Amino acid sequence: MQLIMKSRQLDKGRHSALRKLPILVGILILFFFFLLPIVRLILMSFTSGESVSFGAYSEVLKESVTWKTLWNTIYIVLGSTVLSMIIGITMAAIMAYTDVRGKAVMQLFIYLPFIIPSYITTLAWVQFFSSSGPLGGLPDWLIPNLYSIGGIIFVLGISHYPLVYLMTVQVFRRIPRDAELAAFVSGASRFTCWRKVIIPLALPGICSGALLAFLSNLDNFGVPAFLGIPANIRVLSTYIYEQVIGYGPSAFSRAAVLSVLLGIVAVAATLIQVWLLRRSKVTETTVADNEPRIQLPSSQRRILQTVLWIFLFGTSLVPFLAMGTVSLVQAYGIDLTWENLSLGNYRYIIFEDEKVIRSLGNSLLLGLITAIVCLVFGTIFAYYRSHKQGIFPKVLEAIITMPYALPGTVLALCIILMWMQPLPGWYPGIYGTPAILLIAYITRFFVLQFRGSYTAFSQLDVRMEEAARTNGANLFTRWRQILLPLILPGVLSGALLVFLTSLTELTVSSMLWSSGAETVGVIIFSFEQAGYSTYSTAFSSLIVLAILLGGIAYLIVQRKWRQRGRKA
Amino acid sequence: MITLQGLEKHYEKTAALSQVDLTIQKGEFLAILGPSGCGKTTLLRLMAGFMKPTAGTIRFGDTEVANSKHSSKPENRNIGMVFQSFALWPHMTVEEHIRFALKNHRFSQKRTAEEQAARVTEVLQLVGMEAFRERYPAALSGGQQQRVALARAIAPEPDILLMDEPLSALDAELRISMRKEIKQIHKKLGATIIYVTHDQGEALAMADRVLVMQHGQIEQADTPETIYQSPETPFVATFVGKANLVEGTWNGNHFTPSGSLLSWLDNGVSEQLKQKQLFPVRPEEWQLLPSEADGLKGEVIISQFQGTERHYVIRTEGKDYQASLPIAAPAWREGELVSLQVRGRKTQYTTEEVLLELR
Repeated sequence: MQLIMKSRQLDKGRHSALRKLPILVGILILFFFFLLPIVRLILMSFTSGESVSFGAYSEVLKESVTWKTLWNTIYIVLGSTVLSMIIGITMAAIMAYTDVRGKAVMQLFIYLPFIIPSYITTLAWVQFFSSSGPLGGLPDWLIPNLYSIGGIIFVLGISHYPLVYLMTVQVFRRIPRDAELAAFVSGASRFTCWRKVIIPLALPGICSGALLAFLSNLDNFGVPAFLGIPANIRVLSTYIYEQVIGYGPSAFSRAAVLSVLLGIVAVAATLIQVWLLRRSKVTETTVADNEPRIQLPSSQRRILQTVLWIFLFGTSLVPFLAMGTVSLVQAYGIDLTWENLSLGNYRYIIFEDEKVIRSLGNSLLLGLITAIVCLVFGTIFAYYRSHKQGIFPKVLEAIITMPYALPGTVLALCIILMWMQPLPGWYPGIYGTPAILLIAYITRFFVLQFRGSYTAFSQLDVRMEEAARTNGANLFTRWRQILLPLILPGVLSGALLVFLTSLTELTVSSMLWSSGAETVGVIIFSFEQAGYSTYSTAFSSLIVLAILLGGIAYLIVQRKWRQRGRKA
Repeated sequence: MITLQGLEKHYEKTAALSQVDLTIQKGEFLAILGPSGCGKTTLLRLMAGFMKPTAGTIRFGDTEVANSKHSSKPENRNIGMVFQSFALWPHMTVEEHIRFALKNHRFSQKRTAEEQAARVTEVLQLVGMEAFRERYPAALSGGQQQRVALARAIAPEPDILLMDEPLSALDAELRISMRKEIKQIHKKLGATIIYVTHDQGEALAMADRVLVMQHGQIEQADTPETIYQSPETPFVATFVGKANLVEGTWNGNHFTPSGSLLSWLDNGVSEQLKQKQLFPVRPEEWQLLPSEADGLKGEVIISQFQGTERHYVIRTEGKDYQASLPIAAPAWREGELVSLQVRGRKTQYTTEEVLLELR
């Protein structure tokens, strides 16, 4: 009997060593794909020729262009963050506390600029303010010039205010109504109540939203590339792009220095944001209160509703209509009349320019593979993270977050440096092929899938899985019958996000694409750079339409899914 | 029969469970009672196999299911479990829950499709949920959900049924009626039930034997009556019987409360309490007499009407005592002076003469 017991233990011992193997391999892969590229970038910034030195830093920091770029970056990022905050907080306060009607539809309109890639939004605004746009009749001095610092701030601010809104509205709704009432009872005016009670309580949420907007503005490449490069206005992200694209490997160490500078700011902001978010967890215990707290007199309410709708239509519908209109004229600059109307641009991009269809195919395929790889491994990692205690899984999570927290141009450079020669003496020849795009997409968007899956797991009572175990279900049965059906909605929405983001990705692609491996973003960018506005707007309109249809389909599927398990 | 020997569980450096030795008879209803963090849930989860002990062994009958090196998985143990949060699967109907258990449980007898359907009906009838077979958990009340959880656990007829505070998510009235039902089901099944709870009323009302735990150790394991009437440790006395611990000195089998000349006769105070010079008095054991009478002198600080009884807090020199008297007894008002005596225990002055006379 004892012998049997002993041999069984030995068996188990070998078994557990075997079971540790996949985890070890996983950790190695994580280090190799997610951490090593960043290390390579830092090393590169300290390399001049063959020796270690600060040479590149002192050289780059001596140039006046660097400082000009840094100041531009600061103005643009801070300006657009302030704009996002003003719009975001105002909208959040109105949506959380007043009794305006139609909030659900308004909410959708608020998110619209967020799901459409910012370079397409930029195109739309350019057409909106162009001489043939809806404001074309106005005198020139009244039409703002978007190709300026102010223009970049405006488009970035409009594109990223939903982030501030999202973080703030949740906190506003969770501030207990009683806290507000207690302030009134103690004699506070509405103004004092806001100053002393609501704003201080909402501060962690507001700051966290502001930092997210800050990060997105810092990271953004599309807007400054479309508006800044033609006007010779550089920010760090476009400057790095120009260095890499324009000068090739000889400029890598200069670009690496700039990237390290940009990366440090981004990582610092991310850390502060995570810290703030943890602090605001306090308010998470209270339930969101969706009942309006301020009853407006009906006349005022109607005025407010009208203003809101004008703003929402003006920021999320009209520019895209302007873009759609331009895509329908025969040649750029001519007026839109019935005679000038044609589908010629669409015919050209779909049937005549093979690059367009090829890029669409490339992006769809890249998006699909990225989404599937992330779906499988991101979900496995989320399961591991939610079941293992201790510091190590948290460290791994931080590692996979890095490529997303870093600005896209920085990551692209990391990937180039890493995959030209991953290990000394090994040249896999990936650089310059679609494979490098795939690697870049997977490393960058892995964390999006992980977040979606992790949220799905954390909403699941662990006891549900334990209940299945006490009923004899093995790992396979538990996944198939209990876990998968319950986490699927969360996991799939994560996958959809990964797919859509990869589909329209521009930043990383613009630095990593090669002939034959163009992506949607790259093609729209090159049309625009070459001055083919009618083609770029036509292609963009198609993409917007596809995103909208996809979004609607997703909402319908989600609603259907929610109804499951509820019928009596 | 379940045998635990020298069972220990440590998290990092803190010991959640230390040196637990216990034998649970086949068919026994054992309640594990203790405040939160006492290690009762750890003990249950060790028996279920969700974690591995740091030291010691667990045996189910003759098979060792866990020691510090190897622990068989929950799915390979012949158990059923009911969770505090019910842990129902929101995407399955009531019937699918039972079927899942019948299909997957490795010790459940093999059944044909018809036998399975019959068993589903049988189990649902047992818990009174037959009318709800097609419902999803979201369409059930808390009590109904708990019945489904119970049905799912008992359907495969496991030898051992583990229950982790199964009633604490229900409201007070439902808890009382579910007690009876669980007790009846135990009688019908004859399975060993290990029931973790922090509610002493539940433990006393349902169990054959109550195990009181604190700081990861067993304080006392006895029948409900013994636990209540003859607590062995100060903790059991206060936690289960809500007893007042009167300080004083033990002299043979006489107890003299400190600051008084009284002498109370022992009738079953445990050695451990005696060594600590304590005398436990449960709230309903006090007698309140006019201040002229013999007894501990005190003032009524709080007097609360509670329906069938009246609760008092009486402040004596240096200590507050809780008393609870039937509503039929004369009521005392706050601020009145009273003498405290223990009902049923002879009280006298400790003078040599009196003692001699008694002998």
